[in-house]
Amino acid sequence: MQMYPKKKIEIVVEAVRVQRILEMIESSGGKGFTVIPQVSGKGNRGVRNEAHVNDVFRNVHIIVIAAEDVAKRIVQNAQPLLKDYAGIVYVSDVQVVRDQHF
Amino acid sequence: MKNAEWPSVNSVIAGAYDNLLSPMVLFFALGFLAGRLQSDLKIPEGISKGLALYLMLAIGFRGGVELSHNSISGIMLMSLISAILISLIIPAIGYFLLRKTTSLDIPNAAAISAHYGSVSVVTFAAATAFLKGQGVSFEPYIIALMALMETPAIVSGLLLARRREKSLQKGGSHLFSREVLREVFLSGSVIILLGSFVIGLLTGDRGMDILGAVVERPFRGLLCIFLLDMGLLASQRFSGSERFGFRLISFGFYMPLIGASIGLLAGKLLGLSVGGSTLMAVLAASASYIVVPAAMRVALPQANPAFYVTLALGITFPFNLVLGIPLYHAIARMFIGS
Repeated sequence: MQMYPKKKIEIVVEAVRVQRILEMIESSGGKGFTVIPQVSGKGNRGVRNEAHVNDVFRNVHIIVIAAEDVAKRIVQNAQPLLKDYAGIVYVSDVQVVRDQHF
Repeated sequence: MKNAEWPSVNSVIAGAYDNLLSPMVLFFALGFLAGRLQSDLKIPEGISKGLALYLMLAIGFRGGVELSHNSISGIMLMSLISAILISLIIPAIGYFLLRKTTSLDIPNAAAISAHYGSVSVVTFAAATAFLKGQGVSFEPYIIALMALMETPAIVSGLLLARRREKSLQKGGSHLFSREVLREVFLSGSVIILLGSFVIGLLTGDRGMDILGAVVERPFRGLLCIFLLDMGLLASQRFSGSERFGFRLISFGFYMPLIGASIGLLAGKLLGLSVGGSTLMAVLAASASYIVVPAAMRVALPQANPAFYVTLALGITFPFNLVLGIPLYHAIARMFIGS
């Protein structure tokens, strides 16, 4: 089967910033995304897992698959949005079947 | 000459004892203990959030219905104005104390003090349940004060944090972004509280006929379940305070006492009842851990949420629930007279 190379951008970010990140993804040319609304883990801000009462310690995982130029824009535009917020951005190579969807 | 209306020491101690052994405080303690022992006890998140909504809906609605029985009075308007002023002033006091006694920077000191100017709905709910247990009534419009006191402190906190910014002085940037305004005024808890209050006010006894079975009778029982969860959360947060240092931790204990004194003084000057003054003290003493953290995370991201949520939820909330409420009530009884 014919497969097409794409980039997968994953952004783990605190809940309060998600809306801004998603708007940025679309304005950078991303055609879609997947959101995992609650993830927990440990990083340079300590353990982040609390999802009760307020959302301050909740992390969200966002996954975007896009062409390379769009992926670069998303990674670049994410940086100013993550200043002072908990966030991780990383990119990997993936292959997709339906080229026109991404 | 001794004032004949002063409550005896015995009755004050009995009130504190009743509170300590009330199911509300005991369930909170159970949750706290289970959390400290790292038990796997958990209240599912959906239930916990649902209970929080229920408590706010019930408090708001009952306040609205009560108010529908009264007409608007001068003392009520004065109370509303005082509540807003108290919420604006407390952050300035807290900020000053934090900057003088700790090494916290401006954003952290401002963010923490904003939490203390705002209120904790659950502490208020526990205080109304405590008063009900003691057979003490209070002015129904106090519930409206609570709704009003949620947000002015956020304004104060942001002004304290940003007053030195040049762009702000020149009018170059706005204190509140659209995002912050949405967090503050369209926050779910503000909407449900004010909305149910208005619905209660509009429908009055007719509404209570329909909702009474839901918002009256089960209230204290459901509050107990919610407090079990709060105990678990508070213990989680409490363990984060070990690195804080003595001066910051003690702020979590003495700041509610300062707030309560201001609240009691306001109650006295306004001529509120003992119950009303107790609640005014509880409002001024409590610290927000729902609305304000969310707003501060958006508006003041340089401040570390580990500081403000830990102080408000891990220290001040348990303090008010266990010791503060009966203490403020005892002082109100002596100070206001029953």
